[in-house]
Amino acid sequence: MTSMERVVAALQGTNSDKRAFTMTLSLYGAKLTGCPLTEYYTVPERYAEGQAAVADQCRPDIIFTPFALALEAQAFGSEIVFLTKDPPNVKKPFIRNPNEIGKIRVPDIEQQEGLLYLRTTARLLVEHFRGTVPVCGVLTSPMDLPAIIMGVDGWLEMLLFDREKTGTMISLMSEYFVSMANSMFDSGINFLAMPMMFTNPRLLFEKTIVEIVIPALAEMFGKLKGPIVFHHGGNPLAGYLQHYLSLPNIGGFVLDSHDDFSEARKTVGQNMLLLGNLDGPSLGKISPADAVEKARKILDNRKEDNHFIFATSSADVAWYTPMETITGIYNLIQHCGA
Amino acid sequence: MINNEQEKKSVMDAILKGERDLVNTLLDDYAASRSYRTAMNEVLEPVLEEIGSRWTEENLSLAQGYIAGKVAEDLLMKIHNAEKDTAAKQAAKVPVVIGNIEDDYHSLGRKLVSVFLQSAGWQVYDLGNDVTAEEFVDKAVEKGARVIGVSAMMYTTAENIRKVRDELDRQNLSGKIKLAVGGAVFKLRPELAAEVGGDGTAANGFQASQLFEKLWEESLREVPL
Repeated sequence: MTSMERVVAALQGTNSDKRAFTMTLSLYGAKLTGCPLTEYYTVPERYAEGQAAVADQCRPDIIFTPFALALEAQAFGSEIVFLTKDPPNVKKPFIRNPNEIGKIRVPDIEQQEGLLYLRTTARLLVEHFRGTVPVCGVLTSPMDLPAIIMGVDGWLEMLLFDREKTGTMISLMSEYFVSMANSMFDSGINFLAMPMMFTNPRLLFEKTIVEIVIPALAEMFGKLKGPIVFHHGGNPLAGYLQHYLSLPNIGGFVLDSHDDFSEARKTVGQNMLLLGNLDGPSLGKISPADAVEKARKILDNRKEDNHFIFATSSADVAWYTPMETITGIYNLIQHCGA
Repeated sequence: MINNEQEKKSVMDAILKGERDLVNTLLDDYAASRSYRTAMNEVLEPVLEEIGSRWTEENLSLAQGYIAGKVAEDLLMKIHNAEKDTAAKQAAKVPVVIGNIEDDYHSLGRKLVSVFLQSAGWQVYDLGNDVTAEEFVDKAVEKGARVIGVSAMMYTTAENIRKVRDELDRQNLSGKIKLAVGGAVFKLRPELAAEVGGDGTAANGFQASQLFEKLWEESLREVPL
């Protein structure tokens, strides 16, 4: 079976030759090709070469577009910093105060450099893998993007105390997000994954989620041309899934490494795709043998679950993670049918 | 012994529900027959301690923590206005200096630390974002602060904290002026606190006052007044 067939089988809950698996190796491609990150995250061809190396050496069943959310913040005017062993990060948000919201302009996705990079990269990956390996687009949740445009405190202040400005901000995010996401679907990505933070009761009050966040996301997601994989965004998700089931175009959920799949299944039912939950960023802090053992426990736990893709949770697999850990997990997967 | 369990419970419940206006009303009512400072000492401070424990146990949302900070800020403003020109305001408060290190603009944690330190009675000189090592140390010397609190969110900016340590060393102030460090990156990598020259760190903003007290005492032991 090809990776595409394996992932489709997981979506449909049918049998496949082995368990579909992926790891967030967006950053790791640069390590494999020895590409400086200033190039990797600005030149689409360099990123595509990195992911070709990931496919050759690590053989995941899903390939990701750049996990570089700061580039979207930069498109809105935030200052970013390129790092040597991590994806770019936001150094200085564009505005600090909710009263400055009038300064925010929706960037032109046809012109803005960082957004062009993300879109071109998606196209190159789709062309390279030609339908054999699914390409997953990665974008910032439209409810999280304000936090990297105006700072976490500014966005919280707005969300909690100023409905009018919150509405204006959501309109701006919606205009950008729908056009950017659909342009990536037009490029041929198979689905879109988004870490979702300002959607989770670990960050917000339930009433804010129910009254503001879910209706806004429902409207935006309903306009998308393809499915969304709802990523836990660094917070536990299993206990809160009931909030998100009514959202349109949800294709699956990536759970946190602390989540309980059985708890999640009780809420989402047997047919929803679940992914995760081996913590990716900390893999390099444990021995390859311990990482494989953790992976084995997750796979044993889900062995009867046909709607499951083994994946890393949280952010990118860290730069310093030994290749031996990744190949160890890949080798383990070879013996796991689904 | 003060019997105000019901008031504390009501304030806690309102914070957890995000009812900032209700918390303010409850504290106003409590202060009406006493004072705003009494409301702080007897009601909000113990509630903030409980909030801090919940935060440590990951049993509190970011929004709930933020509301706790806002109501503390609201009450501090009322205390400030009520005690304007009074002896209470003039009473000796212990000065400390805080800020985000050079190149760091992630201010949420620092703002909460500022509010919680003030609630605990410290005289806080908050220098804001993107503060250089020289600015931190010069302000601490000017105000007689024995603790500097420096916040950084990312590893790259946390590395700039070394410059504060270097500046303290250069001015022969290490030992007398202690360096507290905090921010998201230290939660992920606690060992980084020592690597960048910090004398201590706290798991969250609610525990900042305890850390500052500990460092202040260490400073006094090493370099008495």
